[in-house]
Formats: sequence, structure tokens, C-alpha cells
Amino acid sequence: MRKVCYPLVALALTTSPVLAEELTVLTAGDQNMVDYVNEYLGPLFESQNPGTTVRAVGTGPGDAGSQKILERFDAQAQANVGTWDADVAVVHEKFAGPMVEKGYLDAYRGDIENGKLATGANSKMALGTNVDGYVMPMFSSQTALAYNPALVPTPPRSYEELATWAKENPKQFGYNGIKGGASGVSFVMGWIYAFAGDADKLMNGPFEEAETAKWSDAFASLKDFTTNATLTPGNAGTLDMLSRGEISMGPVWVDMFYSWKADGKLPPEMKLVLPAPGMPGQPMHYVIPEKSGHKDLAEKFVNLATSPEVQAEGIVKRFNWYPGIDAQLVQSKLDAATWDKLFTDISPEDLAKNGKSFPIAPYNTAILEAYERQVGN
Amino acid sequence: MPVPFLGLLLVTPALLVVTLLFIVPLASSITGAFDVDGNFGIGNFQKAFELYSSDIVFTIVIVLLSSVLIGLCSIAIGGYLTLGNNPRAVSILKWLYRWPLFIPFIVVGQILRTFLAKNGLMNSMLMESGILTAAQTISFLDWRGIVIAFVWKQTPFVTLLIAGAMASLDRAMIESARNLGASRLRILVEIILPQVLPTLLVGLILSFVTMMSVLSVPLMINAQSPTMITASMAFRINAYGDYGVANALGVISLMTTSVVAWIHLRQTMREHR
Repeated sequence: MRKVCYPLVALALTTSPVLAEELTVLTAGDQNMVDYVNEYLGPLFESQNPGTTVRAVGTGPGDAGSQKILERFDAQAQANVGTWDADVAVVHEKFAGPMVEKGYLDAYRGDIENGKLATGANSKMALGTNVDGYVMPMFSSQTALAYNPALVPTPPRSYEELATWAKENPKQFGYNGIKGGASGVSFVMGWIYAFAGDADKLMNGPFEEAETAKWSDAFASLKDFTTNATLTPGNAGTLDMLSRGEISMGPVWVDMFYSWKADGKLPPEMKLVLPAPGMPGQPMHYVIPEKSGHKDLAEKFVNLATSPEVQAEGIVKRFNWYPGIDAQLVQSKLDAATWDKLFTDISPEDLAKNGKSFPIAPYNTAILEAYERQVGN
Repeated sequence: MPVPFLGLLLVTPALLVVTLLFIVPLASSITGAFDVDGNFGIGNFQKAFELYSSDIVFTIVIVLLSSVLIGLCSIAIGGYLTLGNNPRAVSILKWLYRWPLFIPFIVVGQILRTFLAKNGLMNSMLMESGILTAAQTISFLDWRGIVIAFVWKQTPFVTLLIAGAMASLDRAMIESARNLGASRLRILVEIILPQVLPTLLVGLILSFVTMMSVLSVPLMINAQSPTMITASMAFRINAYGDYGVANALGVISLMTTSVVAWIHLRQTMREHR
């Protein structure tokens, strides 16, 4: 018996890795993105597809994380690698465009069942580049101003009111500049939308060099504003200082704000306001490389991730993000209390009116450089 | 096998490692700094100075100031270790001062971020003890935070070097000065310090180069403007995917460290003459 048994066990051990498929998911963003795949989506997918394992690799927070994924693709494309080492990637909106233009991605949305649920404009255009068919939005996130109602009983409802308020309350407004995370970048973009004219043109294009000349006054006033404000170390730094009472208002990511509140890292009485004319938010996109080794499995994975059930339970309920697919379908899967929690401070109407997108890529770069030139240096 | 050939063979692996992992990347980033859309040009440097001149000045001032403070602190600690009269205090200090050596820069940044904040641990303690009131507290999370982090982290390293050098000095000279009635401060400044000066210089130069390359501390404590060159380089790559200007900033930083490296080399040459 033993003579047969041992070789069988040995055979099973040596061949099982061949049968089991491993799906590699690269994800940019903070630790919560990796947690989302490791703790929720991965195990769910593995239980539905026995024998597969999902390996999540975090590439780091902010644009830097997506930049690393793009460079990884660049390297493999230049080396003419036949099968790339990533099957699914989660990238920031800004990087979806370049990846499509370079031909790295598979146009898979038509192939998956839930593809038609992505109805938002952000699944067709990404900062001025046509990405229709190549991306599925994982979730949308939004920036807003968080404030301490004990210190700010009536929060400013617009950028003009904010500028006046900040003058009256020196050093009470805090933001992280543009080098310490996207919430500060978003605040700056909102400032330009508010004080330098044509937000629609900045968000939809086309890019005209002449437009950049119109920003000087807005940056001059932003420089004044900044000397009167507190600069914080990073997205988390703003929330830290808010919770310690060192500032009473600052721009934050809405999902981070709710998660910190849920974890008890932020006092429960803190609130959010989305000032007019608006602040940008952005989706994170699921993309599948053209040269993925497990395309079918990857499509299955994204299909699961963008199903109304997973969007409701994972994206909205557990991680406090706004859904990536058609919101009405997600709402019907959730009880009213959970859904309303997302809109406690910012109503769906405010979100629709003041939730902007980031400027198209060339304007985005031009605004950041102008900030460095006129406000930073 | 002839001996010279064997020697060459033994050196080859080391030479290959140095060439592939150090010289080639260094050369490619230096040439990358002069690469403007595929052509040779100094556009990247113009942009680097236009956007980051204050960061460059800030970095050099911060690192120089930190080096001076590190020098003073390590002389004080080393001096006490050599001349201290209370053996118990000396041994406690000897045991304590090395601790920061084993703590990574990123952790130093993290610790100081919560310690130095306006309502952080330090100000809370000062308020508890009645030294400050809530209105008097200020945040140290700006250039001062970076200096504090650098000094805290690098002082033990320099102290380790000069305390060793001080311990190996001829005690007879110190004893005779003491017998003639010289104060301990005078012995430190006039007798010990001149003899350990070359070691101190080496320690400070190595610290200078280390501090120039630290990214985590400015990112954790003060990633605003002005900030350190390293934070600007990271931003240039992450926000714009622009390696040209980042490389140019790298070359500027390299030129700064070359100056101190040159001093170091001259010093070693003189010693070996």
C-alpha cells in the first residue's frame, strides 16, 4: 500500500501547482486597496473558483503607485516579454489614458457580463483620452473639505467664502500642498476652477497653451491664501491635525474620512462640505493587460468585482467608496441606513453638482508646474 | 596560473558588481539629466533651477546646519565619555547614546511626526508640567523638525567614531594637563579636539552625504515647499513621470556631495603621505 501511496502523494504535490491558476492583481493606492483584495475580493473569488489563488501586490500610494505599474508595463513591452506578470491592474484615472495609447491594454469590457453596468462618463473618457472599452471603474472617490463643527459652526459653501473665512481665521485651514498626496492637488485644482475661469474647458479639453496664461491672478491669490494657511504632511497628515485640533478645516478624501471615523481615529462629530463650484474626484480603474497569461480568469475576476452585489457589500459598505458602476443598481442591494451613511454630509445633489473631475492631462501638468513656479518657489 | 592573472580573476566579480550596479546606473542618470526629448541640452537644469532653486538652497542650508549641530553634540558626548568624573553617569551615557543608530530614518520620521506636532507628545508634556500654555505651543513640523530628526539620528554615528578616537589618545597628556590645573572644557578644546579633528571631519562628511540622500524624513515631516531635493525628485517622477528634471536635481545633489567628498579625499591623502 505504501509503495503506491507515497508516489501518489508526491505526484499530487508536484502537479497541483500546475492545475492551480494564480491570478496576479497589481494595485496602486493606499494600504486599504491591498486590504480590499486580500481580505474581501480575493477570498470571495477563490471560493467561487476553487483551485485558483489571487495574489495582490500593492505598488504604493498616490500617483507613484500607478506610475510604477506603468513603468512595469513599459519594461515588459520594451523587452518583448510574451506573457506579462500581471493579470489585472488597478490604476488611477490619470494613467489609464497613457496605457491605452501605448496599446498595453485589452479591450475587455464588451466581453464581460457586467460591462454594460458601467454607465458613467468616466468609463469612456479618462482625463481627455478615449478609454472606452478598456476600463471598468472599481469605485469613485471624491475630495471634500472636512471641518470641526465645534470650531466652524457655519462652514463656507464656496471657495469665495472659504477665502474670506481663512483670512479671518489664520492658520486654521490646513492642506498638504501638492507634493504630499492628491487631496492637496485636488484643492488646488478646485481653486483654479473657482478663480481662473473655464472649468469645463480644463476638464474636457481641448488643450490650448493660451489658457495657461489666465491663471496668474488665481495663483497669486492662492499664494496669499497659503501663507495664511497651515501646511500639513500628507493626506493622512491633514486628518491627523484635524483630529488633534491643530487645524479646523482641510481637504480630504471622503472615503478616508469615513474610514478614519469608523476606526475611531477621527472624532465622530467631524463633518464634510463640498464647496461650490466643486472639487475633483476620480475613479480607480480595473484594467487587463493585453499580454496577461490568464485573460479568461482576469475577466471573470473583474466581472465579479463590478457586480452590483460586490459593489454594494465591498465598495460601499465595507470601504466607504462611492460605487464605480451605475449607482441605482448598487443602492437596490443595500439597506437604506448603509446607503445614507455615504451621503450624510454631502447630498447626492451636491455630489452631482459639485463633484468635478480632474483637468485633462496636459492642463493637470501645467497647473501643477505653475503652482510650483508661482506658489512653491 | 601566473599570479597577476589570478589576482585579476579574483578582482573581476567585485569589479563587475561595481560596474553594473553602480557605474552604469550613475552614468545613465547623469546622461539622462542632459537628455531633453532625445537631444542633448541643459533644459532640465534650467527647469530645475526655475522651479526648485529654493529647495536646493533649503537642502544645503538644512544639511550644513545639521552637520554643525551634530559636530557640537558629538564633541560634547565624546568629551564627557573621555573626561567624565562620575563612572556611573559615563557608563549610562555610553549605553544610551548609541540607540538611534539602530533606528531607520523612516521610523525616526514617524516618531518625530507625533512627538513634535503642535498638540503632540512634547508640547503635551510641557503643558502638563506647566512650562507652556496651550496658546504658546507651536508645531515643529517644518525645517526644524528635519534638523531635529537628522541631528538625533546622526549624532550617535559621529560620536561612535570620535569617542573611539578620543579613547585611543595618550592619556598621559590629559593627566598632565589636569595636574597643571586645566579645566575639563579647556582640555577638551585645546588638547583632545585638535587630535581627533580628522576623525570628526570624516564622520561629519559621511553624515552630510547620508543626510543629502534621505527621502523619508522630509516626506514624513515637511513635504511642503521649500522641501529637500529628494522630495522634489520623487515628486517629479511620481507626478509627471519626468526623469529628466529629476536626474538634473540628482546631478545637482551629486555635485554638492562631491565638494565634501573632495575634502574627504584630500584629508585621506594627507594622512597617507
